[in-house]
Amino acid sequence: MKNKVIIPILILLSIIIGGYTAISKINSSTQNNEFSIKNGNWTVNPNMDLKNSYQRAYISRIGVFALDEKEALYFLSSKDNDGDPLTSDFDYQIIGTPPKGRYWSYTLYGEDYFLVKNVANIYTINKENLNIDKPIIVSSSKKDINWLPSGTETKFHIILRVYNPYESVYKNLESLDLPIIKKIEK
Amino acid sequence: MKKIFFYLWILLIMSVCSYNLTIHYIPNIVYTVFHYKIEKNQNIKDNEIKHFDIPSDQSRNVVMPNPDFLYSTIFYDLSEKDLNINANMPDSTYWSVSFYKPNTINWFVKNDQEFETNNLDLTLTFNDSKSQGVIKSPVKKGFMIIRILVEKKDQNSIDYYKSLQKSITIN
Repeated sequence: MKNKVIIPILILLSIIIGGYTAISKINSSTQNNEFSIKNGNWTVNPNMDLKNSYQRAYISRIGVFALDEKEALYFLSSKDNDGDPLTSDFDYQIIGTPPKGRYWSYTLYGEDYFLVKNVANIYTINKENLNIDKPIIVSSSKKDINWLPSGTETKFHIILRVYNPYESVYKNLESLDLPIIKKIEK
Repeated sequence: MKKIFFYLWILLIMSVCSYNLTIHYIPNIVYTVFHYKIEKNQNIKDNEIKHFDIPSDQSRNVVMPNPDFLYSTIFYDLSEKDLNINANMPDSTYWSVSFYKPNTINWFVKNDQEFETNNLDLTLTFNDSKSQGVIKSPVKKGFMIIRILVEKKDQNSIDYYKSLQKSITIN
């Protein structure tokens, strides 16, 4: 009789403890980009055909239905050049050239990894809409050219996507010369 | 006292098992929730195509959507029949066809430069086949995404690519 009570309690407790610990582990890995390749303040996951359960869980959390490294690379940055979290309290300039590929874009996402609401409905600066004579400015206030709005996000992320990257790019992810995100005067 | 240690030991072992199972199945859970949301919110069933508009801040189905893409998606089910995918795709921009398992692993991707023509004509099957234009799925049920890049956001370009997106049919 005693076992009839204890065993279900043990099963329930183990599901709660194991499940909670696993989800906490993946959430903390997501915050720290634990399973990614690091290059400066950018992180990238080159191989989406993942055999490792942790990595697969991590990818499904931050970039479900992503493509492999020959098709697309996703460089993620949540920090500026000084290592401080990106926030709409400041403005930033993106300096440098994206890695070579068929197409690239910078997209800004909120802390929840969704697109950020802004009056101009601008979410991305890409190869096509970039004015190459002007800097790319990340700001909560309107800019005339190359503006990537940061809305009212206390923290945000910037993704640099490169579609069909050159082989020299996806084979040298740790040593690539990537753009920097520099804090500037508001 | 001995019994308490025994129960604690059992609890530890079962918690470790539960931990590993959760880690292993997180992608499947993410997929299942996504499937449920699309089915419920968009009123879409398996083997029916859904054409999505260019993502905006209102798009909440999947994290980090690319706002430069038109997405068309299908939750496919090959239990009863093969699927034929036909479309007139763009000739001057990136587009691709990709397939995913329910654990979110991408098992196939092919882009416009790898297809010989812009007239998409594919058959997706679970059976063995080596015919040209036939893709063998490793799973009976999975997910397909067709991506069309819309670099210029003027209304004419958007309308043009949307008309091509709507040409994607499944039967």
